[in-house]
Amino acid sequence: MKRELQNQVNALVLQVLFRGFRVLYKHDERVRKEMDAWKDGLTLKLVCGPGGAVLAMRKSERTGVAKLHRAQRTAITMRFKSVEGAFRVLTGQMSVSQAYAAHFFTLEGDIYQTMSFVRCVEYAEAYLFPRFWSRRILKEVPEKELSALRVYVLALLENGR
Amino acid sequence: MNYFEFTNPTKLCSGQGALDNLAYELEILGASHPMVLSDAMLEKIGTLKQVTDALSDVQIGRIFTDIPRDSSIETVNRIAKEYRDFGCDALVALGGGSVLDTAKGVRLLISQDADDLLELMGCECVPKGKPVPFVAIPTTAGTGSEATAVAVIKNPKLGIKMEYISQQLVPDTAILDPRMTATLPPRITASTGMDTLCHAIEAFSCLQKNPVSDAYAISAIELVRDNLLRAVRFGASRQARWAMANASFLAGAAFSNSMVGVVHAIGHALGGVCHVPHGDAMNILLPAGMMFNCKKCRDVYGELLLYLGGPELYGKTPKQKRARAAIEEVLRMRERLHRLTGLPVTLKEAGVDPAKFPEVARAALNDGAVIVNPRQVTYEAVIRILEVSYGN
Ligand SMILES: [Zn+2]
Repeated sequence: MKRELQNQVNALVLQVLFRGFRVLYKHDERVRKEMDAWKDGLTLKLVCGPGGAVLAMRKSERTGVAKLHRAQRTAITMRFKSVEGAFRVLTGQMSVSQAYAAHFFTLEGDIYQTMSFVRCVEYAEAYLFPRFWSRRILKEVPEKELSALRVYVLALLENGR
Repeated sequence: MNYFEFTNPTKLCSGQGALDNLAYELEILGASHPMVLSDAMLEKIGTLKQVTDALSDVQIGRIFTDIPRDSSIETVNRIAKEYRDFGCDALVALGGGSVLDTAKGVRLLISQDADDLLELMGCECVPKGKPVPFVAIPTTAGTGSEATAVAVIKNPKLGIKMEYISQQLVPDTAILDPRMTATLPPRITASTGMDTLCHAIEAFSCLQKNPVSDAYAISAIELVRDNLLRAVRFGASRQARWAMANASFLAGAAFSNSMVGVVHAIGHALGGVCHVPHGDAMNILLPAGMMFNCKKCRDVYGELLLYLGGPELYGKTPKQKRARAAIEEVLRMRERLHRLTGLPVTLKEAGVDPAKFPEVARAALNDGAVIVNPRQVTYEAVIRILEVSYGN
């Protein structure tokens, strides 16, 4: 029961994260720079535990990222070992670096490109969670190039497909 | 941190006569046709012969010595093909980091029934495959590769060094025999020894640090402190050589579990872009890397002073000055090695062109080691560390 709830929260945060990536691609220069440097057509996947929520994306020149079908094989996969571990990261109880240090997820694919993806997740986290919150988990909170509220509003308006 | 993992399944055969057990170790691993990997230099100076002699009755499947200093994906793929063509059933790797990492790549390919190492990129994502008995015999005391789940292999097409992290890379057995490092020239002894120190210090301060890896790191630091200069000055000293081989193994096991940080991230990039030998890069970058991390690591570095400088120095140094004093101990060690062997202490001496700094910085930021570095690593920070390390 608890796991099912965590699964649903994970799926929801992945939605917000995806929309957030698209908003930040347009409005945050650092995220745009990172994504522009990705190989054309790069495919990425975030898997939240066995049988858990999945976000599969590909690089899109127009919007930064576009969705893919979850079953598709991707060049880069960040795979959480458990639903609970993914929940802790996606709800901001733990940073991506801390989760990596605790072996919460595995990486498939080129570690070089994965690092860029990790930075994008960290930028998004800085907007997603309140500052006092991010400060607790991130080594350094990246400066925001626009207000978190604006990112939320834009994310709501963003096409989630 | 409230969770950690630690693993070090490698059987260690360490000390006088360790090599004599090679045939037995292979036998109990179920191997009868090992492939022996080494390099041309070790063949020339007779070290390889000591190993083939130790194999006595064991039928060698293939000896491969054409391994360059910076081994590449292509080399690994080629050797894996030969392993299959010659019907080999185990790997014996004799050499420094490059030979050992090459063997790890070959092991990964064979165990997963794959042909191209590029297909197996990643971190902790490869399942246990076909068993490939693997004995590592290091001939430098530095990389600690014989104890790690990490391999760094060059991708010449992209001009970068790629990191592989997997349990499938850890050797079954490590043989540390002082005879294997007895003829190592002083300068390489110094350079690889500083790599060991760097592994231990970064392992002791990275995000994955934990009580078990700390114990390994501390033992390694004390052995380096007491034996590196002796091994450089008196290369024939078996005690000093043995101590450094043990230090290298301990530091390897430590960083394999708690990982390395910004010094290695930049060092890998300098190796890929400017071809600076790994140990030299570590020696040059370590103090600047520690100064950068000091903001987050004051207590941890302060504690390190006990092991770097000994209890007397630690006792008489006020708490707030210990971190700084620990960095000074590293600088002092570096200075002595420089005087003894000419080991470069600046990037300028190592012949690095500052025009390459931006390229090095971009590569460093994409290295897996930045993620576990205690302090956030930015482009500007890497450039600053490179600039500080360029001049004195
Ligand atoms: Zn190293």
